[in-house]
Amino acid sequence: MSDWTLKDLKYWDDKIIDIAKGHGLDWFPINYEVCDYYEMIGHMCYHGMPSHYRHWSYGKSFERTHQMYNLGMEGLPYELIINSNPSIAYLMRENPLYLQILIMCHCIGHSDFFKNNRNFSETHPEDITTRFRNAKRRIHDYSENTNIGSKKVEAFLDAVHTIKFQTERNNRTRLSRRELKEKYVDVINSSNDYNFIDVDKKLISKDNDLLSFLIEYGTHFEDWQLDILSIVRDESRYFIPQIKTKILNEGWASFWHYKLMHKLELPQDCHLPFLKSHNQVIKPMVGKVNPYHLGFHMFKKIEERDGIDECFLIRSIHDDAAAIRCYLDLDDFRELNLFSYSTKSDGVTIDEISDDRGWEEIKLDLINATGMNSMPQVIVSDISDCGDLIIEHMHDGRDLDLEYAEQVVNNIKNLWPGDVKFFTIIEEDSWEI
Amino acid sequence: MSIFKNHKTSADRSASDRSRHKEKIKRALREGIYHIVSDESIIGQDGKKKIRIPVRGIKEYQFVYGDNPSNRKVGGAKGKSIKRGQKISERRRARKGSQGAGNEAGEEYYDVEITLEELGRYLFDSLNLPDLEKKKIKTILGEKTKRSGHRNSGIRPRLSKKETLKNKLRRKKATQFAREADAEGEDERFPFHESDLRYRHIKTKPRENSDAVIFFIMDTSGSMNKKKKFIARSFFFLLYHFLRHRYENVELVFISHSIDAKEVGEDDFFKKGSAGGTLISSGLEMAVEIMNKRFHPDSWNIYTFHCSDGDNWPEDNDRAVSLSSKLKELCQLYCYVQIVPDEDVSTLWTQGGMASVYEGIADGRFKIVQLSLVEDIWTEFKRIFGGGNV
Repeated sequence: MSDWTLKDLKYWDDKIIDIAKGHGLDWFPINYEVCDYYEMIGHMCYHGMPSHYRHWSYGKSFERTHQMYNLGMEGLPYELIINSNPSIAYLMRENPLYLQILIMCHCIGHSDFFKNNRNFSETHPEDITTRFRNAKRRIHDYSENTNIGSKKVEAFLDAVHTIKFQTERNNRTRLSRRELKEKYVDVINSSNDYNFIDVDKKLISKDNDLLSFLIEYGTHFEDWQLDILSIVRDESRYFIPQIKTKILNEGWASFWHYKLMHKLELPQDCHLPFLKSHNQVIKPMVGKVNPYHLGFHMFKKIEERDGIDECFLIRSIHDDAAAIRCYLDLDDFRELNLFSYSTKSDGVTIDEISDDRGWEEIKLDLINATGMNSMPQVIVSDISDCGDLIIEHMHDGRDLDLEYAEQVVNNIKNLWPGDVKFFTIIEEDSWEI
Repeated sequence: MSIFKNHKTSADRSASDRSRHKEKIKRALREGIYHIVSDESIIGQDGKKKIRIPVRGIKEYQFVYGDNPSNRKVGGAKGKSIKRGQKISERRRARKGSQGAGNEAGEEYYDVEITLEELGRYLFDSLNLPDLEKKKIKTILGEKTKRSGHRNSGIRPRLSKKETLKNKLRRKKATQFAREADAEGEDERFPFHESDLRYRHIKTKPRENSDAVIFFIMDTSGSMNKKKKFIARSFFFLLYHFLRHRYENVELVFISHSIDAKEVGEDDFFKKGSAGGTLISSGLEMAVEIMNKRFHPDSWNIYTFHCSDGDNWPEDNDRAVSLSSKLKELCQLYCYVQIVPDEDVSTLWTQGGMASVYEGIADGRFKIVQLSLVEDIWTEFKRIFGGGNV
């Protein structure tokens, strides 16, 4: 059995809060839920959301995590906290006291990051759990509705999920179709130099938000379909900031749990296990980038070099790609011992190593592999005269996986009444699906 | 101050999504099942035995970067001794699991545990065999017993305690109700009465007798290499499970032959090395002999499958043909399977091998199948059993 009670947790929580406040951390109140490992995986597969609509893919995610856990392939991440106000965090009943204390410190770091980082400004943490709950209820109702039914709902979700991250990534405000039209009319009225477009049929400008495009231009959809499209879009918008700041967020939380734990005056028998767990978490991984490791490294180094205020600045304004670009230099790459590699026809080989010749390229590769940059983006470039949807991949030098692309395009065809044409570049030649 | 509470379990929240996922996996399994011909020795295994088969995960497609030179990944190295151009992995391998937010394409496998019976059901339910198959399965009348309700009289062993007790309770309640007006004879004993007793009734039903015997005959001459044997084995696997699915009692006879024939165990049948020349008639003769001795066609459904690469000694052909005509009469289905892996096609196909010798006597009961790839097995299999367009 565990070596702690809820009372112990409260006792340590008070201490942690005092110290954290003294350091200027500013976070949402946290509600901790104590659960067992099975429930933990259950919550993990819904990204920790207390309620979430149903789809088989979350069952798959559960099976995979569970399978890996049983095989010992992957220790469960030792914390799960969601960006909400109050924040909801889960503590695993099986963990010993020192680990709970560590996780609580860690969670304060996350919650502080959620509350203060610019990227999260549009996530509305105060009502996110309600939004998810309502979405779940509505989708449930569509499944129960005799005119719709669970089969149609599932098929539609299957299709929409293939493009779930094809939406605005940078919190830019979207001009609605009507606003675009008005602007276009202004242009026509004020100058003689324009191309004539039939604004009711064609696209006035390219659209980088496929989901919003479908919601606005997909007049063929039924109400429940439009609703599902916006549910999925809203969920992605909510999670995109987390994807973009994985390294900083984990780094910040690890940076703070390390600091706070040292200030806590832990009993002797807790200190060594704490250091052991900490080192396990921030351990570099061979062939991969461990976000805990990289993030912890960055904050520690920047604190030493530029002071703690600079760290707070980063936590407020940056995402991973920007922080890597601004703060990592040759010394870091040497120390982190990073290399880049890729798959050739005859095997996987190393492309660059972290010496003075290669580190800058690795830096670019790292930025490309980070956050939303690791997901290709497509834009709607036009609607043809016969109503076909024309989608373009924003090729940045990296070619798509064609098998996957084909399947996704097939799914988009299920969402659009006309044909769908997709353009990308494969091995420097244009390619059409 | 933070709030702590024990999580109130709202049941197993992902249960329904998991079962839906399982359903999808099973469907994928059903659709792709003919790819799974396991290396395990499953022929002749009990149908209750569970096997684990890896099933390719159901992919969640999104736009992802491909695994190619233009898509560079970054990672930490173990030591300082790495060089540009150094090879770190031999071939493109399917990665297990996925890294990060599922933004990489990778193969995932899920282990599905399934009994051979289930496997058979998936396999053959999807076949939708038309009526033709009925003609091939001879019905021999037998008797089958089945429970059917209860009776007031019967033999002791069939006494139904539950029904009897129910009747007693009924009677007791009725008596109490009737007595209520009178005195209160409450705790009087209330014994069972003859009229409470109920017996299970058992009906006999005629049914198709389902004894079948399958003769697997394999050519183990020198020209039957590993690849051909694998194809043969895969084909036998399907046949066995198909017939098992149809009959309750299936016996197997394995005969291997080169110049002379031997009845062997299953293990030997598939593992024994190949050597020597080929006299197809030897195997057929042995089969006829065993049928006469042990499996009379009046009480057994006999199936014979003969796998060979079609490379027979020419002087034996006449004898093989006459024995085959005889076998045809004895069996529900007699099937000659000629296996010629792709690379041999040009050399042998033109002459046709044994298949062309048999051509004249082939009919609904005697079928000739030619296989060259494992992938053909399912199509050929369907051709034998499914549909009249053979």
